[in-house]
Amino acid sequence: MGSLFRSETMCLAQLFLQSGTAYECLSALGERGLVQFRDLNQNVSSFQRKFVGEVKRCEELERILVYLVQEINRADIPLPEGETSPPAPPLKQVLEMQEQLQKLEVELREVTKNKEKLRKNLLELIEYTHMLRVTKTFVKRNVEFEPTYEEFPPLENDSLLDYSCMQRLGAKLGFVSGLIHQGKVEAFEKMLWRVCKGYTIVTYAELDESLEDPETGEVIKWYVFLISFWGEQIGHKVKKICDCYHCHVYPYPHTAEEREEIQEGLNTRIQDLYTVLHKTEDYLRQVLCKAAESVYTRVVQVKKMKAIYHMLNMCSIDVTNKCLIAEVWCPEADLHELRRALEEGSRESGATIPSFMNIIPTKETPPTLIRTNKFTEGFQNIVDAYGVGSYREVNPALFTIITFPFLFAVMFGDFGHGFVMFLFALLLVLNENHPRLNQSQEIMRMFFHGRYILLLMGLFSVYTGLIYNDCFSKSVNLFGSGWNVSAMFSSSHAPAEHKKMVLWNDSTVRHSRVLQLDPSVPGVFRGPYPLGIDPIWNLATNRLTFLNSFKMKMSVILGIIHMTFGVILGIFNHLHFRKKFNIYLVSIPELLFMLCIFGYLIFMIVYKWLAFSAETSRVAPSILIEFINMFLFPASEVYGLYTGQEHVQRVLLVVTALSVPVLFLGKPLFLLWLHNGRSCFGVSRSGYTLVRKDSEEEVSLLGNQDIEEGHNQMEDGCREMTCEEFNFGEILMTQVIHSIEYCLGCISNTASYLRLWALSLAHAQLSDVLWAMLMRVGLRVDTTYGVLLLLPVIALFAVLTVFILLIMEGLSAFLHAIRLHWVEFQNKFYVGAGTKFVPFSFSLLSSKFSKDDSVA
Amino acid sequence: MLECSELYFNVDHGFLEGLVRGCKASLLTQQDYINLAQCETLEDLKIHLQTTDYGNFLANQTNPLTVSKIDTEMRKRLCREFYYFRNNSLEPLSTFFTYMTCSYMIDNVILLMNGALQKKSVKEILVKCHPLGRFTEMEAVNIAETPSDLFNAVLVETPLAPFFQDCMSENTLDELNIELLRNKLYKSYLEAFYKFCKNHGDVTAEVMCPILEFEADRRAFIITLNSFGTELSKEDRETLYPTIGKLCPEGLRLLAQAEDFDQMKRVADHYGVYKPLFEAVGGNGGKTLEDVFYEHEVQINVLAFNRQFHYGVFYAYVKLKEQEMRNIVWIAECISQRHRTKINSYIPIL
Repeated sequence: MGSLFRSETMCLAQLFLQSGTAYECLSALGERGLVQFRDLNQNVSSFQRKFVGEVKRCEELERILVYLVQEINRADIPLPEGETSPPAPPLKQVLEMQEQLQKLEVELREVTKNKEKLRKNLLELIEYTHMLRVTKTFVKRNVEFEPTYEEFPPLENDSLLDYSCMQRLGAKLGFVSGLIHQGKVEAFEKMLWRVCKGYTIVTYAELDESLEDPETGEVIKWYVFLISFWGEQIGHKVKKICDCYHCHVYPYPHTAEEREEIQEGLNTRIQDLYTVLHKTEDYLRQVLCKAAESVYTRVVQVKKMKAIYHMLNMCSIDVTNKCLIAEVWCPEADLHELRRALEEGSRESGATIPSFMNIIPTKETPPTLIRTNKFTEGFQNIVDAYGVGSYREVNPALFTIITFPFLFAVMFGDFGHGFVMFLFALLLVLNENHPRLNQSQEIMRMFFHGRYILLLMGLFSVYTGLIYNDCFSKSVNLFGSGWNVSAMFSSSHAPAEHKKMVLWNDSTVRHSRVLQLDPSVPGVFRGPYPLGIDPIWNLATNRLTFLNSFKMKMSVILGIIHMTFGVILGIFNHLHFRKKFNIYLVSIPELLFMLCIFGYLIFMIVYKWLAFSAETSRVAPSILIEFINMFLFPASEVYGLYTGQEHVQRVLLVVTALSVPVLFLGKPLFLLWLHNGRSCFGVSRSGYTLVRKDSEEEVSLLGNQDIEEGHNQMEDGCREMTCEEFNFGEILMTQVIHSIEYCLGCISNTASYLRLWALSLAHAQLSDVLWAMLMRVGLRVDTTYGVLLLLPVIALFAVLTVFILLIMEGLSAFLHAIRLHWVEFQNKFYVGAGTKFVPFSFSLLSSKFSKDDSVA
Repeated sequence: MLECSELYFNVDHGFLEGLVRGCKASLLTQQDYINLAQCETLEDLKIHLQTTDYGNFLANQTNPLTVSKIDTEMRKRLCREFYYFRNNSLEPLSTFFTYMTCSYMIDNVILLMNGALQKKSVKEILVKCHPLGRFTEMEAVNIAETPSDLFNAVLVETPLAPFFQDCMSENTLDELNIELLRNKLYKSYLEAFYKFCKNHGDVTAEVMCPILEFEADRRAFIITLNSFGTELSKEDRETLYPTIGKLCPEGLRLLAQAEDFDQMKRVADHYGVYKPLFEAVGGNGGKTLEDVFYEHEVQINVLAFNRQFHYGVFYAYVKLKEQEMRNIVWIAECISQRHRTKINSYIPIL
């Protein structure tokens, strides 16, 4: 858990990569995912970098691969996915690979082109046969139904006669026939009419089967048309119109014999084409199958290669041009791993001079790396959503693991609901390796990623449910109530005692609607319930009043503890960043301010619980009044809690009042004093001792700077600050704003924690209403028909419980818990101004074939 | 009425307006142009365009990359966007879109007829046609021999039909007549579009009318400029001017009488809008009149985005995108012809 408390220590390393081995080294680094590269060529535009040619080559390869995958998918060949991801290809293989791929592409394009051509040819021939078949019926129809139609004589009967007849008229009968898209028929006919002014006759019929369009490959309905026209001029126009509408025009046979002949010829050609096409397709399939085997490897390899060159583009080039210099952030724990990766890379490429690394001191803030596992990941995400922690800052995620589910459960306190949630989360956790869960839809995935949060939330809800003694709004009487009703009856007490107590007799029981149990009567209250709220409160009419008082006090107590804890964590931050003065001048005044007001409030609450019993409850003072009186100093001094209360409160008030100016002015004045004088011997000596403790790199830095700066650096911890000028006004303003925010925040944040009470109340009441409106109705029906009614009622109850109480209420409690953490807790100590460590790792590359690989 | 239409504008057109504003934000910035102008080869240009919103639209192009390939791909992209807008639009916005395509349709028809005149095949010309102005009947225009033929046979059912009222004639379509036909069509088109916007009222009218007025005046100037030294008579010339612009009517009459560039400039001097434009011609960097007009067009189109709830943004976006495409093509041409001195005379979109 140590790694979760603070982010890892990082160091800036310079990698000297011999130009021959750079590629292999980066490949080894990418496989391990150890380091984050810094862009050293930020002001060089993307196409002027050194390895842009190589990147281009990778893109070319990618283009070919996309084409290959597209073809393979079109041929319905399954793409095998490799189990392991292959390493980036060695440079020697790249050229070979490129050649192979290019050859493959050329071949494929050739074959597909041929195939397409053949296919188009075939489709055209098929269209032609269809056309011939259909137009035959046109002519026949003319014979049958229009025997008197002279201008369009049936050609088969005696064409000779007609031709002579036409020549006499000075015009020639012409035919154009073909196929046209279904949608264009109407417009086509209209235009023919308009252009040719009726000198044409159009006959068309719908083709009963849909054919593929040779150009686009779409399967659509077609119309076969036959246009007969008079005269050459019109013929030209008709042809142009046919072109315009993309008709497929085929020569029209004038005689029956010709038609037969063409038909036969077509049939044989179609047969031939079929066989050729089959052979081509077989060959194509063979080629594609062979390609499909290696395509996954190739895709991954090219992706890795491209990533490597992108990283190499970030390196600067040595003057001698012999090596590349890369600057990387690396976690200190992984340095030896990094060295080994470099060695391995050098060994692989067989270079004589090994690549090496050098740790360089830096003033820049390193990125934040917090290693998580599947359990802590969800909680870290909650914190990161607010802001990635600054480098080496206390990471609230560690505490969030417990506080978050706990605060959630305070608002969601119901034994039954919590158990359902726990079961659901447990189901997710047990099946977490199930592939379908990993690739599930958005909402489901959200639940899946938060499964451990849900699990803890469910568990804690069970616990708070036990404390509240709520199970689907009903109490469970596990240990037997501590209250005894029979003791209230007058008959069970000796007559001597009757005078002091209000006891019950038969008439009171009969006539009053509400009866009150008096705990001061001996035997009525036999001691507290062992765990949580006594189940008898479930029957009481003043249950709400009792619970409200309890939950309100509980929320305030929890809130103040939570916030105080936040302030204490701030002390850890100051200790770590070696800003001890911050502890005395900021954290301690803050703590005093908080504890003297609100800590005392808690004390009063607890004291009142302990000091007053049922007998003395009549004289117990109101905490609210006492608390207000603490500030108002009323003239009539009635302090009721304990003796000497007045003096204690005065002292506390004075401490509070004193801590405010310290908070406002302490840090700025101290810094000013440091800046101007530093005359105090003690402080500067302590400074030196601290410096000695500091890490090596800082010492080496100190050599370059004068002591003054070194001192400041020690003060600030954050090294960027050293260069900044000392600006008193700015520091004062920041501190004043921070102090005002803190002092007001103490009050408003405490009030904010009352949402714990409000939400738990809302949850309890909602489930109570659901029970009263549904289940009670179902249970009241008499036994004979009750079963029939109870079943749908229970179903409805279950559905509403899940959707309203579990999902809706759960979501609202979840959001409020997040808010309490982000705002009330984290603003006490958490800066969250860091950047995330994003290592150069091949596992982060998305692979189209294996999306789940990238998560690993 | 004015307030009302703004209330329910978003019901019908809110999605598209939001979309077009998002698209406008993806126009190349000044920095992009500077980077583009630094490119050494078209490959560099491609790499840089990949970092912009164009994305890898050239990724599937086989080498070598040519300017015309870039141009076609960019046009395709614009077309895709435009058709998306159009397919999702409701009346009267869809009519507005139809009006927008009309100008491209006119250009295409004229291009095809010119091609037919030079005996080029339809396929060859089709490639050059602007995809936004494509329609089915287009390919049949070379059937017609006279404008009325063209109308009766081919275009009667297209959106262009109403613009033919002025140019029905039986003249054969030679080069001059085709040019006359284009200008007449354009004139009626602009006037009809203007009327449509005017009738629509609201902000659309307030934004679109100045844009169309400028377009009309620009045409008037260009017609005048192109007619110097041709056989076009002054009366004929006057009939070609669109009559909606700021120049109408006195300016147009004066323009009709102009005989050279200086006289034209004198006409423009009467108008506050056009005077500075004409003064900028030939000034720094040797700008042509066309460039100056383009710059002004970009300015008023950018202004259209300052108003809410109107259709002008769609028009302005398409025009700005076209300008951007012209810029990229210009830069690409300069790069491919190694003509770097003029590479910076593109017109940036602010």
